[in-house]
Amino acid sequence: MTSELVIQNLHVTVNDGEKEVLKGVNLTIRQDEIHALMGPNGSGKSTLAYAIMGHPHYTVTEGDILLDGESVLEMEPNERARKGLFLAFQYPVAVPGVSMANFLRTAVSNVRGYTDQQPTSEDGRPGVIGSNLMPMRDFRRELLDKMDEYHVDRDFAKRYLNEGFSGGEKKRVEILQMAMLQPKIAIMDETDSGLDIDALRVVSDGVNKLAGTGLGILLITHYQRILEYVKPDYVHVFYNGRIVRSGGAEVAHELEARGYQSVREEFGEPELVTA
Amino acid sequence: MTTQVLTKSEIGLNGDAVATLSQQKQEPTWFTDLRHRAWRFFEEIPWPTGNEEEWRRTRLTGLDIADYKLASGTPEASSDAADLVPYLRDELDSINAAAALVTEDGTVRYRGVDAGLAAKGVIFTDLDTAIRQHPELIQTYFMTNNVAVDANKFTALHAAFVTGGAVLYVPRNVQVELPFHGVTAVSGGVADFAHTLIIAEENSQVTYVDDLISQDSNATFHSGVVEIFAGPGAVVRYMHGQDWNTNTWHFSTQQAQMLRDAQLTWILSSWGSRLSKINLEMQLLERGGHGELLGLYFPSGRQHIDHHTMQNHFADNCTSDLLFKGALRDRARSVYSGSIKVWPAAQKTDAYQKNNNLVLDRRARADSIPGLEIEADDVRCTHGATVSKIEPEYLFYLMARSLTKFQAEQMIVTGFFEEVLNRVPVEGVRNKLEQVIARKIHM
Ligand SMILES: Nc1ncnc2c1ncn2[C@@H]1O[C@H](COP(=O)(O)OP(=O)(O)OP(=O)(O)O)[C@@H](O)[C@H]1O
Ligand SMILES: [Mg+2]
Repeated sequence: MTSELVIQNLHVTVNDGEKEVLKGVNLTIRQDEIHALMGPNGSGKSTLAYAIMGHPHYTVTEGDILLDGESVLEMEPNERARKGLFLAFQYPVAVPGVSMANFLRTAVSNVRGYTDQQPTSEDGRPGVIGSNLMPMRDFRRELLDKMDEYHVDRDFAKRYLNEGFSGGEKKRVEILQMAMLQPKIAIMDETDSGLDIDALRVVSDGVNKLAGTGLGILLITHYQRILEYVKPDYVHVFYNGRIVRSGGAEVAHELEARGYQSVREEFGEPELVTA
Repeated sequence: MTTQVLTKSEIGLNGDAVATLSQQKQEPTWFTDLRHRAWRFFEEIPWPTGNEEEWRRTRLTGLDIADYKLASGTPEASSDAADLVPYLRDELDSINAAAALVTEDGTVRYRGVDAGLAAKGVIFTDLDTAIRQHPELIQTYFMTNNVAVDANKFTALHAAFVTGGAVLYVPRNVQVELPFHGVTAVSGGVADFAHTLIIAEENSQVTYVDDLISQDSNATFHSGVVEIFAGPGAVVRYMHGQDWNTNTWHFSTQQAQMLRDAQLTWILSSWGSRLSKINLEMQLLERGGHGELLGLYFPSGRQHIDHHTMQNHFADNCTSDLLFKGALRDRARSVYSGSIKVWPAAQKTDAYQKNNNLVLDRRARADSIPGLEIEADDVRCTHGATVSKIEPEYLFYLMARSLTKFQAEQMIVTGFFEEVLNRVPVEGVRNKLEQVIARKIHM
């Protein structure tokens, strides 16, 4: 079965309902499809990404998010991840003292069901770190292979998650995690920003490779540049909390040539739009 | 395997008991005198009222020392670890040691010393034996210049009833790679007064792992003292792991004196006890000393853990580096108060003090009171304290990668302690600390 993520008339507020950031987003992403989402700063792209993943600061006030027909709105972020959603963060956070390998082993073990196989302790909580997980040797082998494949230095396994990683390194590690977790639908929030040309190629190769293995991608970007490596099936223009234009690659070319001017002319400045 | 039945004495903590204890142990007069003197101090020093700065946040409500009896029993040491009851054997096995001494309710249960050590002049034995066989050592070092008998009410009580504990003497230029391991176990109703005395002579190197554990879950009372002497150029590593049950009263006064170019790594972990009051002082007495003082604590339930530290710089060109990290759950409380004292002669002091607290539950509370007292002008002293909650963005990031809230919190808390854990030089200790942290999270 082909998985699909359906976003229906999604309205989202931040700051306890003070501000509506998403104002009716409609979008369907199927496995093996690449959707590019382009839009000016502050238009709500990251908000869409966070809302899909279930960030507690964002409140859905209307509409729905369905994965394979099932609403994810009541699910915790980890349940959404286990159902096959993945978010590559625009700004991955550094978690002090948590090693990448340690963390990723737990994540992979959850997603692949290792943590379900063995009984949990009496109080219903999962076992101590190290028990109940994918066997260390198997995990290590797979991780090291993937690190080589995505040009991430092997030392990073032992390093603390994102701590002291350069901007580009963080992005590559996000792709590495995506490759290990094998989601069905991935939202990549400006994964191409801040990458040098080699890193951009590594990231795009990764995206292309994974896209061919049943991954559906929402690629949030500001740049035409990545679209030379990754060929989107659809390009959407995001403006003031909704998708205002959709089409093929030509939409991106038009934006590249004319900026958001024509969008502004057609839809007005955000402040002037009445909700 | 032989089963050992511990006999509990009915001797309470009073003046007559001092004499009885000393007689039972057939101690020399000079030690009996010391006990009596200590008892007089104990009677003179008033109980804390709660008005003293040091006791403002830590109240002794519920403590009645009449509830606890002196441990009794005849020394019956074994040198076969197989004779030990399982919980003691597990504790013994946790550290790959050069020598170990296991004491239960003040009685030596096991002593294992590598034969080569004695040949090098290393002395490692229980206090009773040391008093008999090495009186000059005890007369010189036992609660004389380091921790004073009358330092506080609990040190006085300690000296009056001291039993068990260990004495380690390492001669000049002797370097011992593997750690010495002291295990102190106590059973319900017992008042424990273990003493650890470490003397590392010039250019010696030694590591000591001191573990305190409970035999059962009943209330006990511990009033302990640790004294460390690091001679010129000596390298000493001392790791103190307090893992009593949560019904135990824990009072501990620890002090280290460091001579020229001595190096000390001192790691303290406080997991158990109902209430802990711990005083630590590092004295840098001569130039060039370097001390590192690391602490971990993780009170849960209604535990109360109070650490007071003093980095006392008497001499120039010394460094001290303190890092205490604590997580708190449920309705637990912690108090950290620390002081860096720099005397006029201690120019070019470089002292650092940091205390971080991670408060996991709304009703848990951490107080952190750092302090500086500087009388020299050419020094570098920094201190900092934080009390924070789990960062929601860390939680979201980890959960977005499929970790449950519980798994994510477990990672964040373990990661929080990592900054200390990765500075623990003994693998066995590190493993044990990781296990305790996991256990505390799962409690
Ligand atoms: N947690 C929040 N609290 C308050 N305001 C928020 C929050 N998150 C987003 N916003 C506001 O919502 C709007 C959309 O922000 P968002 O980060 O989604 O934009 P974006 O399209 O991703 O921008 P960029 O291209 O700069 O990444 C902005 O005005 C932003 O300030
Ligand atoms: Mg954004």
